[in-house]
Amino acid sequence: MAQSSQATEGLASIPALLQRNATRFADKPAYREKEFGIWQTWTWADVKREVDDLALGLINLGVNEGDFIAIIGANRPHLYWSMVAAQSVGAIPVPVYNDSAAEEMAYVLEHCGARFAIVEDQEQVDKVIDVQDRLHQFEHMIYLDPRGLRKYDHHMLHQFSHVQEQGRAARDEFTPDLEARRAKLDYKSTCVMLYTSGTTGKPKGVVLSNRNIIESAKNSCEFDKLGAGEEVLAYLPMAWVGDFIFSIGQAYWSGFCVNCPENPETMMTDLREIGPSYFFAPPRVFEGMLTNVMIRMEDASRMKKRMFDRYMAHARKVGPAILDGKPVGMMDRLKYALGNMFIYGPLKNTLGLTNVRVGYTAGEAIGPEIFAFYRSLGINLKQLYGQTEASVFITVHPDGEVRDDTVGIPAPGVELKIAESGEVFYRSPGVFEEYYKNPESTASTKDAEGWVATGDAGFIEPGTGHLRIIDRAKDVGKMADGSLFAPKYVENKLKFYPNVLEAVVFGNGRDRCCAFINIDLQAVGNWAERNNIAYSSYQELAGHPRVLDMVQGHVEEVNASVAQDEMLSGCQIHRFLILHKELDADDGEMTRTRKVRRRIIEEKFHDLITGLYDGSEKVSTKTEVTYEDGRKGYISATLSLRDAKVYEVANRKVAAE
Amino acid sequence: MNAVNPEGYTTADGRKIGPVMMEMKNITLRFGGVKAITDISFDIREGEIRAIIGPNGAGKSSMLNVISGFYVPQEGEVWFRGEKRAPMKPYQVAQQGIARTFQNIALFEGMSVLDNVMTGRLNYMKSGLFSQAIWKGKAEQEEVANREVVERVIDFLEIQAIRKTPVARLPYGLKKRVELARALAAEPKLLLLDEPMAGMNVEEKEDMSRFILDVNDEFGTTIALIEHDMGVVMDLSDRVVVMDYGKKIGDGTPDEVRNNQDVIDAYLGVAHD
Amino acid sequence: MSDTLIYATEVFINGLMAGVLYALVALGFVLIYKASGIFNYAQGVMALFAALTLVGIMDGQVPFSHLINAIFGTDIHHFGWHLPAVLAIILTMGVMILLAWAVNHFIMRHLVNQEPIILFMATIGLAYFMEGFGDLMWGADIKKLDVGLPMGLNTWIDDTTYNAFGYGFFIDNLDIVATIVAALLVAVLVAFSQYTKQGRAMRAVADDHQAALSVGVSLNFIWVMVWSVAGFVALVAGIMWGAKSGVQFSLSLIALKALPVLMLGGFTSIPGAIVGGLIIGVGEKLFEFFVGPMLGGATENWFAYVLALIFLVFRPQGLFGEKIIERV
Repeated sequence: MAQSSQATEGLASIPALLQRNATRFADKPAYREKEFGIWQTWTWADVKREVDDLALGLINLGVNEGDFIAIIGANRPHLYWSMVAAQSVGAIPVPVYNDSAAEEMAYVLEHCGARFAIVEDQEQVDKVIDVQDRLHQFEHMIYLDPRGLRKYDHHMLHQFSHVQEQGRAARDEFTPDLEARRAKLDYKSTCVMLYTSGTTGKPKGVVLSNRNIIESAKNSCEFDKLGAGEEVLAYLPMAWVGDFIFSIGQAYWSGFCVNCPENPETMMTDLREIGPSYFFAPPRVFEGMLTNVMIRMEDASRMKKRMFDRYMAHARKVGPAILDGKPVGMMDRLKYALGNMFIYGPLKNTLGLTNVRVGYTAGEAIGPEIFAFYRSLGINLKQLYGQTEASVFITVHPDGEVRDDTVGIPAPGVELKIAESGEVFYRSPGVFEEYYKNPESTASTKDAEGWVATGDAGFIEPGTGHLRIIDRAKDVGKMADGSLFAPKYVENKLKFYPNVLEAVVFGNGRDRCCAFINIDLQAVGNWAERNNIAYSSYQELAGHPRVLDMVQGHVEEVNASVAQDEMLSGCQIHRFLILHKELDADDGEMTRTRKVRRRIIEEKFHDLITGLYDGSEKVSTKTEVTYEDGRKGYISATLSLRDAKVYEVANRKVAAE
Repeated sequence: MNAVNPEGYTTADGRKIGPVMMEMKNITLRFGGVKAITDISFDIREGEIRAIIGPNGAGKSSMLNVISGFYVPQEGEVWFRGEKRAPMKPYQVAQQGIARTFQNIALFEGMSVLDNVMTGRLNYMKSGLFSQAIWKGKAEQEEVANREVVERVIDFLEIQAIRKTPVARLPYGLKKRVELARALAAEPKLLLLDEPMAGMNVEEKEDMSRFILDVNDEFGTTIALIEHDMGVVMDLSDRVVVMDYGKKIGDGTPDEVRNNQDVIDAYLGVAHD
Repeated sequence: MSDTLIYATEVFINGLMAGVLYALVALGFVLIYKASGIFNYAQGVMALFAALTLVGIMDGQVPFSHLINAIFGTDIHHFGWHLPAVLAIILTMGVMILLAWAVNHFIMRHLVNQEPIILFMATIGLAYFMEGFGDLMWGADIKKLDVGLPMGLNTWIDDTTYNAFGYGFFIDNLDIVATIVAALLVAVLVAFSQYTKQGRAMRAVADDHQAALSVGVSLNFIWVMVWSVAGFVALVAGIMWGAKSGVQFSLSLIALKALPVLMLGGFTSIPGAIVGGLIIGVGEKLFEFFVGPMLGGATENWFAYVLALIFLVFRPQGLFGEKIIERV
């Protein structure tokens, strides 16, 4: 397709969009944040003032065009403004995961050569100061929350509001410079740089241009008819591309309001109070919400529970059809309306999803049950498939064509192709410019014609044109007998059980599959309490024979279901164990976005894997763990290994073909 | 240590410590025939963090209860802000601006966190029963003003997420924090903390230490705390009183106390002879 | 509508009205129990005492006249005035506050931190003392209480229902007033405990004495206040019952009817006291109406207690009481 290099209405940058919004939507709320128990609101006109003051302050501090400014903190309006202010002065914002350890932070700051950082609070200031000696270009740090920082050396440290005040004071002096810098921004200039927390190796800095962000925002807004009236809750990490597209790209494109929670723990309350109309959450959030509902229903009176069960059954039957506008009988509609009054409505209200018009989930496969639950309530939950390198959108579910087993059709402006190896490739206006200071990786990911490798294996369903993802391309392997090994496929099936938090399946090149399981402490803990099983720690609960029995049941059910699929029936789990610790990003076993790091786990727990394959009943092991403050310690445990029943496939012909 | 300037001094990290706020003079407390506290004197200065430490049964909690009016000593005088204090009921002590927490947590279990912290403002509510019925506007204004103070405390102690949660449902560590919040809501001149870190894990202890330091730093609140765990106290406090068997065996900066032979003996359990 | 249904409706409404009066007494119990953990056996006697005092003040009776006359050989009985009801009620309230102070100062203050059973015994003692004291002060004769409340058949309801069903409902005006007053009283009490400084302090004391002290609440003040509020509720109950059936000793027995109400509603719940009262009131009237004739009548004497007994077996904490959970 012809990519227009001309921006719509001359709006070629986020700061330009802000100028437009400040006139067009002057008095409309642009940001809200809950502070001291009350929602504070800023209009678009307010935001322009705040951003301009900060931008002038940044010039005053000596920010040059092309500088990198790290933004570190939780979702707060001031930090979003910081990104736009950085763009306004020709600098490049680099949002950094605020829960990253000092080590990871040091790598990112050093790699991009940030001269400035705008951070949220003392915690982040401390982290940056810790690694400051290793950062050669680093100069100034600006912080938002002064608490606890009064006694710090303020030579290089500045309070956010002071920077703004100084900027305001020097307005006459610096405004021409600011105007000039802003005027230089075009579709080609860099909008943001985001570091991907790849499953392997060091993070890579993905450079996204104004064209990438604005075209993606524009296309996706048109696709879902997002307008200035939407309300969103910004609660996902600011360093993640999705948040950047939703809370900046789309928000600035269509002028809708971004709401920031009071603090991370109040997210559910804030969600209820805001009632967003456009909502994104990774599957784990939807899963957590559903688990909470179920736990509360367990404690509810018998009558309530019976009513809930009956109406939910009805909702599962007709809810999705009603949502998709398919024909549904009069009586069923009536019963659904009744259920809506007594069950679905109040339930959506407690979940804060009453107003959701468009809801998305992505990042990982969502459990069919979970997906169906929300859709049956009448919430238009859809899946999308995306990547940082694509400015999020690769494929999306259109309204009315939502299915749990596909990730939808190519998003507007996106072309797809499937390589020989089964790997999915795409090309779109959102395709990233490059990996910063890493031409080899850029070349190996994006070819000369602009096709980008996703690293995922999948196929396009004939007839519907929907894309189906099987697994990570590199994780799809072969078993010893040559049959397909797709661990993620099996792991996802396991993770759909509320009791299972994580699963890691092994079997590449081997004759059979085995698995590690992490139980969900909340769900299993609740179950234990109801069944009078006493436990004092995760480890104790994980080792309880009855928990093992329960998980064994889940594993065997999964085996039965895997056996149905002749291509993948070799992936049935022959033996499993429940890990004595939760997989943790601090220990390097997962990424910050909670994806398992297969190779590291394989090395770290090799003794357990050996045990699984040599048929031992019990294995004793000792594992290093990292506490939140960075100290290390050891836990030791003796784990029980279990056999699970596997199912024969009548017409197994994979090996023959 | 008693040779410090009566007007106060400046600590190594630049905090200003003022003149003496509270002075205990020759306090003796008996329960029946048993002496819980024997002839103890010490002072607390404006703006400082003062710790009272000692092994179990040393009489630390009794001392705190004397300061907060829960116990009335048989002998000795309590001076507060230059005035000798007549024997007082605990609620009168609270009304003087001395707030406290308890070793075993005394919260209003049936109320929400917010309501609990609001009780810390009871003494600031002027509108009485009848004026509240008649002057609705004034009472409302007062309510809003008090709520604002409470919200700042809630924000400060990072307990926004549990604002509406009934206290009975909270885990131990959070309950301790709510109790601190209630005491802070009273904007006390002197804050008494009875073993604020008892029963906490390492992480919770660190959080609590940070909150104590921040309270002192941000609001300039004078804090007297009792602790069993010597390590935590030494990092936290400006001056330390050490008690053993109801007697004072040391008083001074953490370093002075650490090197005091009597203190070392008491903590290592050397026989008294 | 069939005749039975019409009669039953009338019985039902009358049951509601009676229930309101039970609820009023039960409310007094709940207030003190919540704030101090004391089950105040004397609540019924307090209602009697309040009613006696009110009548005495209104009629200008000389208190302790028997005693005075016996000692001094005089023959005085009346001051000769007749006070308006409103003034008399205010004065009586003053007496109830005085009583509250005396109860706290002479009894309860000395029993802090005692076993509940000891406190309960103390209130039994208090009940008998007040009964005798009331007799001595105002005489033991049955008195008529008339504070100007509308009494007798409500003709509007009678007419309307007659026109509608061909049978006029007999609803007493006094019962209607009692219902309105009870509703108001509950609203005021709820507003008081939720929104006023004293109400908050009261809830604080009810929850934890030590913590209440530490935020600057005087326990003695709160206890006097709670007993005063209970005295006020007793006064209202006394007025209603007194107006209905005369001020006499049996008034103190209505306290016993409050017991099943509390068992139903829970000892700590204000809404529980109301709902419990209504259930007992309606239940016993309907039971008498439908089942009574088969059992030879007079079921009203025991119905409430049997119902309470059943409740104790199946839901010991009452309908609204705090759930007793023991977690492992």
